Amino acid sequence: MDDLRLAWKNLWRNRRRTLITLAAIAVSITLMQAAHNLSFGVYASMIDRGVRAGSGHLSIYRQGYLQDRDPKLGFNPQNLAAEISRLAGVESVLPRLYLPGLAQSSRDSRGILLTGTAPVEEYRINPFLRKLPATQMIREGNLRDALVGQRLFEELKLSFGGKFVVTLQGQEGELASELLRVRGIFTSGIKDIDRSLVLVDQHRAATMRGRPQQIHELAIILKPQADERWLLDQIGRLLKNHPQLILVGWQEAMANLADAIRLDYAAQKFIFLIIILIVTIGVINTLLMSVMERIPEFGVILALGAPSWRLQRMLLTEALLLGVIGMLLGSFGGSLATWYLRIEGLDLRYFVSSSLEFGGVVFDPIMRADWDLRWMLKMAFYVCGLALLAAWYPARKAGKISPAGAMRHY
Amino acid sequence: MALIELSGIEKIYPLGHQQVQAVQQLDLRIDKGEFTVLAGPSGSGKTTILNLIGALDRPTAGEITVAGVALNRVSSRQLADFRLRKIGFIFQAYNLIPVLTAAENAEFPLMLQGIDKKIRRRKVIELFAELGIAGLENRRPLDLSGGQQQRVAVARSLVAEPAVILADEPTANLDSQRSADLLNLMQRLNQDKGLTFVFSSHDPQVIQCARRVVSLLDGRLLTDQQVQQCTI
Repeated sequence: MDDLRLAWKNLWRNRRRTLITLAAIAVSITLMQAAHNLSFGVYASMIDRGVRAGSGHLSIYRQGYLQDRDPKLGFNPQNLAAEISRLAGVESVLPRLYLPGLAQSSRDSRGILLTGTAPVEEYRINPFLRKLPATQMIREGNLRDALVGQRLFEELKLSFGGKFVVTLQGQEGELASELLRVRGIFTSGIKDIDRSLVLVDQHRAATMRGRPQQIHELAIILKPQADERWLLDQIGRLLKNHPQLILVGWQEAMANLADAIRLDYAAQKFIFLIIILIVTIGVINTLLMSVMERIPEFGVILALGAPSWRLQRMLLTEALLLGVIGMLLGSFGGSLATWYLRIEGLDLRYFVSSSLEFGGVVFDPIMRADWDLRWMLKMAFYVCGLALLAAWYPARKAGKISPAGAMRHY
Repeated sequence: MALIELSGIEKIYPLGHQQVQAVQQLDLRIDKGEFTVLAGPSGSGKTTILNLIGALDRPTAGEITVAGVALNRVSSRQLADFRLRKIGFIFQAYNLIPVLTAAENAEFPLMLQGIDKKIRRRKVIELFAELGIAGLENRRPLDLSGGQQQRVAVARSLVAEPAVILADEPTANLDSQRSADLLNLMQRLNQDKGLTFVFSSHDPQVIQCARRVVSLLDGRLLTDQQVQQCTI
């Protein structure tokens, strides 16, 4: 307690210097926490959009399909979808087929990706389709309804209710053509998707492929608080009777998105490292200056009978106080910034005119933060620990002072 | 057995490529309760001898025993403990810690000993009253006069009840009246409590006041005189 009081008093010897150092520590923590939480929120939103429109948090494929995307590698899900749906934490299970083909209107033709899905569930889950009016939804049982990407719609010069023909290769290599009607159009914001995607009922697509019961992907959407590890284990057990099937996480199924996030966060970590380095140098500077200024006084303290470790402890306590106060102030600032960025967000619409695509996923131009309390705590304690580590050299220097030599500085 | 015993002491300081012999072949015995001054001009070795007795420095050669502790044979940590419990220091420039109050400065050695705050504060209040600085407990050193600061330094040297009080030019920064007051105070403590004082000084007023004057020149003992009465 005495050491703490003494350290506190020593800290305020040079009020301005201490305040500047505290500000450096606090601002760095605030910046890192706010930047991380903003990324955390944006990544979470991107992943959520990505998995709902894409592979799901977890997905099941036939072995080899992910690598080759060979339409022949389908599988019959039998009761799997129903069994997985019953597991705790599963929000939805979406069967999908992906078939490359050609779409022809009376005016033009384009290469497309015909996607077969369960329309009702897809509308509920897929963020691209949520805003569609009911009049544009694929009707259950109506196997000619198709949703067409905005660009494809324009390029084929189609109209609502207009007809177009889709031709694709069946399982045995034969060509299969089908007449479809435009039920609605959608805009994902991703040019390639808007230019090529045609969404139909899964049964229509499967029939065209010549395997009415088969799909290519079973996309599993999880609830926000789901225990992913437990689910992996449970679904893995269900797949024991299906040796030809594999279960993968979204990171593997949507490697582009996972890599893009990893790369972006690595860049951010590098910036964090620079911030931490600057703060550490600042703390070393403050404590070293404070040691150099007080050498004669340290001589007196040693002369009065303090062992050198007591001096070192005194300096480390000063650093600890700096770190703890900086950590508290910084975390308060970081929380405030996160709260603001979560409610108001960072609006990028003023800077970018078109939609923002990242890792094959469109994200909201109003970037919103989300709380990552564990990381915030970890980073705050990390910086506090660094302040303590930064005191090591000045403390070591103070520990080597000889009392008689130090007092000659008076 | 003498309280302080120096035998064959030599101290050499390196100064660049040269070596300076600060103390040469010094033998000195000081008994408990003595009021001794080490007199001599600048560079005569007074402060070096005080530093050696106070375990702030180690001799190049020779043996030093203070209060039964052979200072040559103990570790740095033991020397620190020796200073804490056996030695009281009074410095020329008072050397109070500026961020602490007068009372906190005075109780600093007790704080290092880990003594409870209430006990040490009670002791310091008694000492301040005895030294004529009662009521100044909560003042910072910068708010005190030179004389008051030196009395706080005296309180700090006495608070742990050391075996020896070493004072390096204690009156050098004081005017003659305050010097006389301080010397009277120390004499009183020496006579009433039997405290052992060793001073270094070239101030005639201090030298006249001592009961034993050890004169030094160029690191050698010149004379060692006993004086019956303080002439101040």
